[in-house]
Amino acid sequence: MLSFIVSEALVDLRRAGRVGVSAILLITLSLTALGGFWLLSLNLGRAVSQWRDRVRVVVFLREEPTGGALADLTRRVEGLPGVQRVRYVSKSQALQSLRQSLGAQAGVLEQLPRNPLPASIEVTPEEDATTPQATRELTARLSALPEVEDVQGGAEWVEGLARWQRLFEIVGLGVGAVLALAAILTVTTATTLVLHVRRAETEIMRLVGASEAVVRLPQLLQGMVQGLLGAVVALALLETAYAVAAPRLEPLLNLTLGLARAVFLSLPQILLLIAGGAVLGALGGLLARGRATA
Amino acid sequence: MIRLHHVCKVFESGPMRLPALSDISFSVEKGEFVVLSGASGAGKTTLLRLLYADEQATEGEIEVAGFDVRALRRSDVPRLRRSLGIVFQDAKLLSGRTVFENIAFVLRVLGTPRREITPKAFQALKAVGLSSKAQAYPAQLSQGEAQRAALARAIVKSPALLLADEPTGNLDEAMAGEILDLIKDIGSRGTTVLLATHQARLATQLKRRTLKLGGGVLLKDEG
Repeated sequence: MLSFIVSEALVDLRRAGRVGVSAILLITLSLTALGGFWLLSLNLGRAVSQWRDRVRVVVFLREEPTGGALADLTRRVEGLPGVQRVRYVSKSQALQSLRQSLGAQAGVLEQLPRNPLPASIEVTPEEDATTPQATRELTARLSALPEVEDVQGGAEWVEGLARWQRLFEIVGLGVGAVLALAAILTVTTATTLVLHVRRAETEIMRLVGASEAVVRLPQLLQGMVQGLLGAVVALALLETAYAVAAPRLEPLLNLTLGLARAVFLSLPQILLLIAGGAVLGALGGLLARGRATA
Repeated sequence: MIRLHHVCKVFESGPMRLPALSDISFSVEKGEFVVLSGASGAGKTTLLRLLYADEQATEGEIEVAGFDVRALRRSDVPRLRRSLGIVFQDAKLLSGRTVFENIAFVLRVLGTPRREITPKAFQALKAVGLSSKAQAYPAQLSQGEAQRAALARAIVKSPALLLADEPTGNLDEAMAGEILDLIKDIGSRGTTVLLATHQARLATQLKRRTLKLGGGVLLKDEG
């Protein structure tokens, strides 16, 4: 029975001709657009989460605290809401760090009469306190401490990046949805055409006592095959575009977003895209049945 | 095998009511060969369509092959039709498939195991004397051959009841005789047959029980 349904679906697909090919192309376009925006959003999302992990608030101190005062200050900072971890950086550690950053040019530091760098406390906010609002509140609390000269850092620009990521998601979904609708309508047209061509078969099937499932499944399957073919072609296009573009874009991504490499869709995401294609096609097949029997 | 009790069928189209059958009652026993005669428009086709649930009766009771047809749900109609073989004036063969494929199509649709399809299809073709045309397409057949192929398609699933709606309507006398002989042969093997024809001479020639319809009313039940 299964082989009958599959073979009838393939015969129907052949009968759909150019309209069937158009349906496959539209599904390809819709899934390529959807997948393309998904890829962009996926990589931006990685950058956002990477930068969120790196959000630090640096508290510059008026004076380098002594042993007891440092322990007291550290305890008070740790006790503030939204603080996950604190690390004290002494004046000499700050200078050492600057020396390392300057590398060959570190010699200029020898010209300084004294160490100009302040001691500081590097505060790592808790995961849910890396939003701009939360970091602003934390900054205000830290600034209120009497030992504190200045507070720097925050999450505004990370949130800007996150907004871009959300924009890509929305645009991707919007463009994908419009193209998906067009694809469903084209599959519907292709399947309606086939239903018209195969009405003699359908009549005989009903007369001899075929169940409705056997009568309907070939149409559903025909739509699904169109959807699957569209999804496979879309994935091939995306993979090719990724293979060509990723090596060229990675240095730029590393420089601007700190992403060492751009990733492709994961296996579950690929399977979801393929399933999406099958669902688009199946919907088209179902709508055609409704239209033909209306 | 068939029992109709005070069956009426009225076609409604907006405010129009067109009575097609009025108060039809009769029974056909298992293995019986019955002719349904009457002029065109007498209600023969409507009656047959009620029997295979292609139309719903307006009133009355209909029992076919053990099924209470009026009480059948739409999803149960295929079960009724699986026990029937139906032949029409127009052979209704699928033009893109060979004669063998037309017969095999029915078996495939009904989920017959693959290994049984070829022998059953050839057996049906042999029964109607059409084995030599198994690979021919419908367009390559004469009208008589096409009707034989339609008969083979109807009997391939070994139906309990054969409904034939004007199977000789498009054929010349010689061909019509051949088809009738085949249908009689099918009936003689135990299949119940209800054959509708507008050809009065043919009904007489068959010398079988005849139900005569006229204007949607059962005029005679004789033989």
